[in-house]
Amino acid sequence: MRTFLIRRLLQTVPLLLGISALTFLLLRLAPGDFLATMAENPQISAATLDAMRHRFGLDQPWWVQYGLYLRNLFLRLDFGESFSRHQPVFTVLRQGMLNTLLLTGAAAIVTWGLAIPLGVWAAVRQHRATDRLLSLFAFVGLSVPEVLSGLLLLLMAARTGWFPVGGMRSLDWEELDAAHRVVDVLRHLVLPALVVGLIPLAGRMRQMRSSVLDVLRLDYVTTARAKGLDERTVVFKHAARNALNPLITLFGYTLGSLLSGSFVAEVIFSWPGLGRITVEAIQTQDQYLVMGSVLMASAMLILGNLVADVLLAAADPRIAHA
Amino acid sequence: MRYLNGMALIAAAALATLSLGACAGQKPGNTAYHDPHPLPPDTLTLPAAEIGSYGGRFVFAATSGPRTFNKLLANEQPSNDIDNLLFVGLTEFDNETQQIFPELAKFWDVSPDQLTWTWHLRRGACFSDGHPITSADVLFMFELAYDPVLHPSLQDLLKSDGKPFQVTAPDSYTVVTKLAAPHPLMAAAVGSLRIMPRHVLEPLYRKGAFASAYGVDTRPDSLVTSGPFRLRQYVPGEKVVLERNPYWIGVDAKGQRLPYLDELVFLIVPDQNTAAIKFQAGEVDAIDNVKPEDYKTYIDGAGGGGYTLHDLGASLSTNFLWFNLNRVREGHGSRRAGEPAVDPTKYRWFANREFRRAVSMAIDRDAMIRGPFHGHGLKNWSAPTVGSKQWGSHGIVGFDYEPEGAKRILDSLGWKDRDGDGVREDDRGHPIRFVIKTNADNLLRVQMLDLIKDDLAKVGIACVPASVEFNTLTTNLRDDFQYDAILLGLGSAVPPDPGMYANFLTSKGIAHYWDIKQDHPATPAEAELDRLYAEVIASSDPAKRMEPWKRIVRTLNDECFVIWLPSQKIMVPVRNRFGNVHPTVIPQRVLWNIDRVFVKQSSTRA
Repeated sequence: MRTFLIRRLLQTVPLLLGISALTFLLLRLAPGDFLATMAENPQISAATLDAMRHRFGLDQPWWVQYGLYLRNLFLRLDFGESFSRHQPVFTVLRQGMLNTLLLTGAAAIVTWGLAIPLGVWAAVRQHRATDRLLSLFAFVGLSVPEVLSGLLLLLMAARTGWFPVGGMRSLDWEELDAAHRVVDVLRHLVLPALVVGLIPLAGRMRQMRSSVLDVLRLDYVTTARAKGLDERTVVFKHAARNALNPLITLFGYTLGSLLSGSFVAEVIFSWPGLGRITVEAIQTQDQYLVMGSVLMASAMLILGNLVADVLLAAADPRIAHA
Repeated sequence: MRYLNGMALIAAAALATLSLGACAGQKPGNTAYHDPHPLPPDTLTLPAAEIGSYGGRFVFAATSGPRTFNKLLANEQPSNDIDNLLFVGLTEFDNETQQIFPELAKFWDVSPDQLTWTWHLRRGACFSDGHPITSADVLFMFELAYDPVLHPSLQDLLKSDGKPFQVTAPDSYTVVTKLAAPHPLMAAAVGSLRIMPRHVLEPLYRKGAFASAYGVDTRPDSLVTSGPFRLRQYVPGEKVVLERNPYWIGVDAKGQRLPYLDELVFLIVPDQNTAAIKFQAGEVDAIDNVKPEDYKTYIDGAGGGGYTLHDLGASLSTNFLWFNLNRVREGHGSRRAGEPAVDPTKYRWFANREFRRAVSMAIDRDAMIRGPFHGHGLKNWSAPTVGSKQWGSHGIVGFDYEPEGAKRILDSLGWKDRDGDGVREDDRGHPIRFVIKTNADNLLRVQMLDLIKDDLAKVGIACVPASVEFNTLTTNLRDDFQYDAILLGLGSAVPPDPGMYANFLTSKGIAHYWDIKQDHPATPAEAELDRLYAEVIASSDPAKRMEPWKRIVRTLNDECFVIWLPSQKIMVPVRNRFGNVHPTVIPQRVLWNIDRVFVKQSSTRA
């Protein structure tokens, strides 16, 4: 297991290097730069633009800029500075990351909290109306784009007043006591978490269903039934637990998308997460901010995949030796 | 499956609790605020229609959060909107009268030769931490503004004849600025230099850390401000909360210290659509960048919604199109320096003033206003636009819609449709066909371009509309000149004065788009523009400046270097429960007098 881990961790270094080089190159290939957005401002002179370009190091060739970036990153874990905010990139991203994790974490709970019981239910009722209905529901959820479902829910919130119209907290949040603060954030969390969580639901649910179906056909289940155990004990205690094994890997992939899986929902629901910062950074070509965001999301993805493999290895010893 | 049904019930109950719990309400206004500090000897009485009362909160929708609270280095609107309320200058621009008035300065003297300006500061003016604002703070700000490394973008404005002012402070309340040449915008330029606290920032500046000072992670209590507000809280991506600066010098006509509001909240929303939903849901009190296609929704909803959609007239932002007359800068490959950047055939058309006039006459601006502008547009023939009380009133009209006239001009050039395909050929047989680009993110411009294509087709000119990314467009127009024509515009300048448009009007400027950064004026008309511009900025007497300004507008319209298109009419919705709301077309449209806005007594509600 240890060699497996070390090998995998070492593999992430060239991977991250490649991602960073590619991102940097793409950013430089994109037309214009951070200062291009000043084109419609009639007051800024050419000399001022040149001075600013020099201050931000944008007058250097891209490989010099990239080299400096890598040096700072490796020697000092310094992700550079945001052009527009004059702040270290990590400081800008930190709070956004935490907010994104909250949203995607809640979404993961929605996904898995629904996928497992619904999958079991569908398997038990195989080919019956419940099963069909659940499949239909799951696939509709899968097919409706995030943008549409998000906007529809937002409109619903505005019309009915049942839920807040986007955002993460009410304006008076600071004046609430601890319990109400939690409730307030949860209220804001419901709709975006549903939107993000429902997308992978269909897949996970079908996976759980087929897995349970496989297990239910096994001899030990028949034995359990023959012993006279009631159906609930058979399904939940004996079948479902073993059926969970194949889904462990998928759970690792969920971890991987924790930082990058909610960009669209964040923009729709004014969620103050990494996605909005990143989209804004891309639009304004705030290049080191984009780099930082991409690198963190990639690292999370790689880590998630690693966890998935480790979990799988732990669950199935044959993998670890492969 | 009773088990599952039970779970579903619990989930439903949880959702219900969440959806009904803690409904955010408006803060009641009119809380008792007792001014803890004595008023300074020199207060600043700010004009307002009504005397207000203290308390309440105003929520403004901002489509982007601030990137910095360092006013000197803030270069984009989201930061400026907030920073302008935190920091003020010696003078300020009154959006209502469109005149400059003394703010931190009590008054100023100008020497007869207009080269020495003496600024007398208000006594007793203090920063939000109670530290007095003196001439040392002003000197420090000038030092920062002229710093070659920081090079803040307002440095250009703080120069006369290309040279920095000589700034001295004979005593704590007097600042003297000596100029190399008269500066028509001197009062405005000095006002644009917002005063930040030297006692906090100088140590950081000496350490070379000024650029990162007062970033958005600054602790609110260490952000010392000179304006009507100070920072209470910033939650990135969510909101910025400002509260009154208890030392602010501004008072109302009864001598009560301003601002009236307890809180001014900038609620950060991702886009105009979300802002609209939040406004309709009552979570937001004002928006200042409504899309013209949404105006009707607001007009319809104003009656029952408790708000008014204020019509502010023509925007200060412009729309125009121009043809590429730029020359190749540095020769490489087959291109030689100095030859036209576009194909020589096209250059022959574009450089022809008659052709440009014909294009201007082919465009039906009224149809454009009825269509893409949804009726909310105004014809405009200059920058600053008709939105400027002083400089928009020149009364000059350019070549407006007259398709028969356009056809006559093209006929007289011998550019006729000889092969019957509906597109004219020039006198050498080349079909007149070119591409007009605009920025894809501006839906209005994309739609305008579609109309222009149809209008030009009617007079036998084929144009291909292309919407491209804004950054591609700026690369095209500044660096590689890979375009035939572009539809774009200039943003607003405050004050809306011709002197703010040097880069656009003069041949050396980088916003002289049709042929940027010329070493020498390429045409007699542009030499004339340079001369007239020099005349406009040679004096600060509006009467003397008006005549050359009119001639600039006339020359530009006569030559059709840019073909003017309508400007958008601006409308902003604001809730009726606030008093002294007086939006103007000049930014900040709603917030410029927010220090005087108050919650009306009768509309107090929980």
